Amino acid sequence: MAQQPLIHYHVRWRPSGHQPGASQGLVAGTGDQLRSVVPLRDNPDPRRLDLRASSRDPYENIWVRDFNLNSALKVIVLVDTSASMGYIGKVNRLHVAQQVASQLALSAYRSGDAFGLYAAGETINKECMLPPKANRGAWLWVNHHFPKIQPHGNSMDGLFDTVSYLPQKRCLVFLISDFRWPDGKLKSLLKKLNHHDVIPVMLQDPAEIDEQPQRGIAMLRDTETGNQKFVWMRPALQIQMAEMRAQHIKTVETASRLYGNKPFVVRGAFSSALLTEYFMRRSA
Amino acid sequence: MSALHFFKPDLLWLLPLALLPLVSYGVKQFNFPGLEDWPKDFISDSLKWGVRALAVLALTALIVASAAPFTEGGTVTRVGDGAEIVIVLDRSGSMSEPLQNYDQSVDAKPMSKIEASRKVLLKFMEQRPADTFGVVAFNAAPVSVAPLSSDREIAKAAMLSAEANSSGFTALNRALAMGLDYFQNRPFTASRLILLVSDGDAVIEKEDREILKKSFKQTRAKLIWVYVHAGAEKNILSSVIAGDNEYITGAELQQIEMNQNVAMNKLFEELEIPYQAFEVNSEQGLQRAVTEIAQMTNKPTRYEYRLPRQDYAVYLYLLAMFLLGALFWLKQIEIKSWKA
Repeated sequence: MAQQPLIHYHVRWRPSGHQPGASQGLVAGTGDQLRSVVPLRDNPDPRRLDLRASSRDPYENIWVRDFNLNSALKVIVLVDTSASMGYIGKVNRLHVAQQVASQLALSAYRSGDAFGLYAAGETINKECMLPPKANRGAWLWVNHHFPKIQPHGNSMDGLFDTVSYLPQKRCLVFLISDFRWPDGKLKSLLKKLNHHDVIPVMLQDPAEIDEQPQRGIAMLRDTETGNQKFVWMRPALQIQMAEMRAQHIKTVETASRLYGNKPFVVRGAFSSALLTEYFMRRSA
Repeated sequence: MSALHFFKPDLLWLLPLALLPLVSYGVKQFNFPGLEDWPKDFISDSLKWGVRALAVLALTALIVASAAPFTEGGTVTRVGDGAEIVIVLDRSGSMSEPLQNYDQSVDAKPMSKIEASRKVLLKFMEQRPADTFGVVAFNAAPVSVAPLSSDREIAKAAMLSAEANSSGFTALNRALAMGLDYFQNRPFTASRLILLVSDGDAVIEKEDREILKKSFKQTRAKLIWVYVHAGAEKNILSSVIAGDNEYITGAELQQIEMNQNVAMNKLFEELEIPYQAFEVNSEQGLQRAVTEIAQMTNKPTRYEYRLPRQDYAVYLYLLAMFLLGALFWLKQIEIKSWKA
């Protein structure tokens, strides 16, 4: 697990917590961004003495520099565990979700951030719930708990309930799902989460997109509804299908852009470097 | 069209088995995360039922075919201008004697009487395509070789198989009785002929004569004696057909033979049945016999021809084969694992 590089996420907003961390925060404290120059009386730390400001003062007051605290973030992972997440194509979808979550847990700990995790399918999964804390063993907790999750249920309504468990202050939220949701569900969830920085992590499997069999007949069973469909794969159908997939990604993208972020699409296996790259692009 | 019958109707109880494909699709199934945005595809949707319908049809065809459906062919009444002819062929020892040869050249092979008569009869059959033939061969006892039927091949094969075989006694009366038996229990639809092919070396007892006389009357059959004679024998027709072939008296033995044959000729005449005799040992004699018989049998033959029953299993098996082929092809293009 630790073989992959850490995820260097970066946010463009200032977390307001008092916990020291890696992001430029809002409160005064030890940091690398000058906040103001204050009298020694207000910030009695002679190490931050501002000689130039003190010597320029005709009243001969002593001034010290005040910095913004580099605060810790709260990283929350929301995992959709509806039945479609149990799909095993070229990769095990839930296993990919586990990789994302545990790598995020490790990275969060390394940058001193709190990590929390909530899983929900039709209802919220109370067995798999980690409140956001700076937690050294969070990634192990993830690896321990994820294999126990049985994806079931044909909706994601439980995710709405997780919102109330989340901290009131702004967090970095990763929403891991395949987003095979009915129209409008993603929009209303994002609306509920809109005071957080939500990054949809969209899991896709090559076996359901572009690495489908070229031709032949088969029976397909919807993992969520159990509906069966007889399909005759042929090139004409592939073209239609590619359009449908593009349409799906576009729908998710439109909804999430409305609330600030592009979705991060994981095709097949997860690569943490790509997620770092995603944050670099976002900050640029 | 007559009703459909089944040769093995019990097998039709298996028909509910044909519904088995409705239980499962028989196609490999894969899980798929979401089908709600799968493109609408009419062909796929219709194949879903099409495959099962194919399987049901194939099974139905197989089961019905194994029950062997058929329809009775029925009978048609055909009118022919032929006659019903029973050839009563003498294969006694004397028939193997060589025939008097008209061809006097050196390399001409001597031909036995039975061989000659066979040849003549086959020719006769060829010239009478509408006739119905039956064959009785006899020496010491008559053998029913071919039944009276319009199947020529049987009669021909029977003729070809008849070989002369000496057994010391010639059961002419019983052979004639057997030939007449052929006409029993048959509707009188055509002229009936008993075509006796013999060299006349037989006698008929007085009691038998009475029986024969009765049967001939009962069956309304005519008798034609095709007389095969070797050169040495007396032409029996000398007493019937005046003039053209007067026999000059020879040895004592020949006189006896002559007497016997002439006696036989007389005997037949005494039976008070329509009787004619032909001496057939030449092409001309045959032609004359054919024309004579044609005159005798100008009554049109109305005969029942039984059509063979129509068997439908073959078509059903063909259909089943075709359907199974289609199913096999579908199984071939089935996706074994969901990957590109």
